[in-house]
Amino acid sequence: MKNIIQAEHKKIFFLRFSRVYLLFTIGISLVAGFIFSVTTHVTQGRSITDLSVLEVVSANMLGMDLASILLIIFTGLSVSREFTAETIYSSLAVVPDRKKFFMGKYITFFLLSIVLSVLLITLIYLSSQIILMMNNMDAANLANTDIRQFVLGIMVMPVFYCLLTVAATIFFKSSGGGMAFSIIVMAVPALINMFPDTVQKILLPFMPQSAIHSLSGTAAEGSFEALGTGTSIGLLLLWLVITALIAIISFQKRDF
Amino acid sequence: MIEMKNLTKTFKGKISVNQLSLVIHPGAVTGFLGPNGAGKSTTMKMILGLMNPSEGSVTIDGQSYKELKQPISKVGALINGNAVNPQLTAKQHLELIAAASGIPKKQAEKMLRTTGLENVRHKQVHTFSLGMKQRLGIATALLGNPETVILDEPFNGLDVDGIHWLRELTKKLAQDGKAVLISSHLMSEMQMIADRMIILAQGNLIADMTVTELAEKSLGSYVKVSCENNEELISLLTEKGADIKQSKNEELHVHHLEMKQIGLLAKEKNLALYELTKIQPSLEQLFVELTEDKMDYVSAGTPPGKGRKLK
Repeated sequence: MKNIIQAEHKKIFFLRFSRVYLLFTIGISLVAGFIFSVTTHVTQGRSITDLSVLEVVSANMLGMDLASILLIIFTGLSVSREFTAETIYSSLAVVPDRKKFFMGKYITFFLLSIVLSVLLITLIYLSSQIILMMNNMDAANLANTDIRQFVLGIMVMPVFYCLLTVAATIFFKSSGGGMAFSIIVMAVPALINMFPDTVQKILLPFMPQSAIHSLSGTAAEGSFEALGTGTSIGLLLLWLVITALIAIISFQKRDF
Repeated sequence: MIEMKNLTKTFKGKISVNQLSLVIHPGAVTGFLGPNGAGKSTTMKMILGLMNPSEGSVTIDGQSYKELKQPISKVGALINGNAVNPQLTAKQHLELIAAASGIPKKQAEKMLRTTGLENVRHKQVHTFSLGMKQRLGIATALLGNPETVILDEPFNGLDVDGIHWLRELTKKLAQDGKAVLISSHLMSEMQMIADRMIILAQGNLIADMTVTELAEKSLGSYVKVSCENNEELISLLTEKGADIKQSKNEELHVHHLEMKQIGLLAKEKNLALYELTKIQPSLEQLFVELTEDKMDYVSAGTPPGKGRKLK
C-alpha cells in the first residue's frame, strides 16, 4: 500500500498543473475569505466592528467553502485522468487488485485534503487575527470553545467532499460525474429548505451538510440540522463508506 | 507460464472469445494473429485482469494476474501505447510505475537506455511521435524484467530502425528464456520473428502451431515437379494419396506428399525429374486461407472464400 500511495503522490505532484492549481486554491481561498470578512457591511448590512470575533472568523472561513469546491474540481480532474488519458491500463497492470488500487488513491487524496485543509485553516485563522487586529478588536482565541469547535468542524468539509469526489469519479468514470455528484450533495440542503418543515425534518438530518454544521457548531439548536457529535461523525463516515463501497464494487466488475 | 482454460468473453450476448484453451510457452516468440475483432486484444486484456472472463480462467504460474505479488515482474505488457499521461515526461512515467511496484528507480533509467529514449527522457510524452510512445510502452512492459512479455501491435508507428530494434529485442527476450506474445497485422514481421503462431478468428482458435507446421498443413503448400513422363508420375503419386494439379506449362503441383517421397518414388520407376521444389506459402497467404469467411469486417470487393480450422 505504501508503494501505491507513493506512486499516487507522484501522479499528482509530477504535474505542473497540480502544483499550480493547489497553490492557486490556497491563494484564492485566502483572498476570498479576506474579502468576505471585510465586506460584511455590504453582505450582512453590518460593519465589521459590529460583529463578534466568532462572526469575523466565520466570515473569513467562507474561504474554506470555496476551497472545498476547488478541491472537488481538482480531485475530479486528477482521478478521471486515469480514464481520459487511458493510464488505467498501465495503472491496473501494476496494481491489478482493484480494491487496493482504489484504496491507494482514496488514502492519497485523504492525506492531500487533510494537509490542504489544515494549512488553509491555519492561514485563514491567521488572516482573521490580522483583520481583527486592524479593526482594534480582540484576538480570536482557540481556548474559546465556540471558536475551537468552529475551526475543527470546518476542517472536515474539504476532506469529506474530496473523498466523496474520488468515489464518485471512479464510479462515473468521468470528472463531470464526480464533480456533479459532490456539488449536488453540497447543494441539495438548500433545495430541501424550500420544502415544508415535514420534508425538511425527514431529509435534512441525512445530509452531510447538517453533520458538518453540527460539528462546527453553526447548526442552530433545535433546527433540523442539529445533530450530536457522534451522530455527525457517524453520518459522514456512513456517506463515505457507502459511496466507497459502491465505487469499489462497480470498479471491480468493470472491463477496460 | 500462461495457461488459458476455456477462456470465454461475451459482450451483450456476442461472443468475443470462445472457449480458448492454450499455453504460452517460455523461450519462444508467439505470434498472435487474427482479423480485426478476432478477440486478440480481449484475450490479452483478460490475461492482465483488465477484463473479467465470462467463463473459464487464465493463470500465470497457477495464479490469476490479480493474485500475483509483483505482477509486472511476471508479466510485462504493452496494451495501449497511449496509456501514458501526456503531461508527464518519459522518466516520470517510468518512475511512478517503478514506485508503485517497489522497483528501484535506476531500473527506469536502464529501460530508457534499452529503448533508445535516453535523450528524450525529460520531454513530455505529448511531444512524442507514435513510435516513441510505443518505445515507452515497451520500456514500461520490460521495467519489471518480466518472465512473460505481451505486446499488442508493438510495430505500430515504429520506423525502420525501430522495427529492426524490436525484431532483435523480441528474439533476445525469447533466447533469455522469456515467453513473448506479440499481436500484429504485419505478417512479414511475424514470419520473421515468431516461432509459434496462434490464430484467432471470430473468437475461435483456428491454429496453434509452429510456422513450419502451419505451412505444411496449408492448402497453399505443395511440391512443384517437372518430369519426363507426367502421366506415369501422376498415376504413381496418386496411388500414394497425393492430390495433383497440372499447370499450363506442364508442371505438377503435388499436395499431401513430401518432396523426399516424390523423389524416391520417381527414382524407383527410373523417371527423370527436371525440377523438384518445395513451395511454402507466405504467412500472409496462410492467414488469408485460414481466416477467409471469418472476418467481422471485410473491405468492399473482397472475394468470398472458405476459412478452415487446422488441427
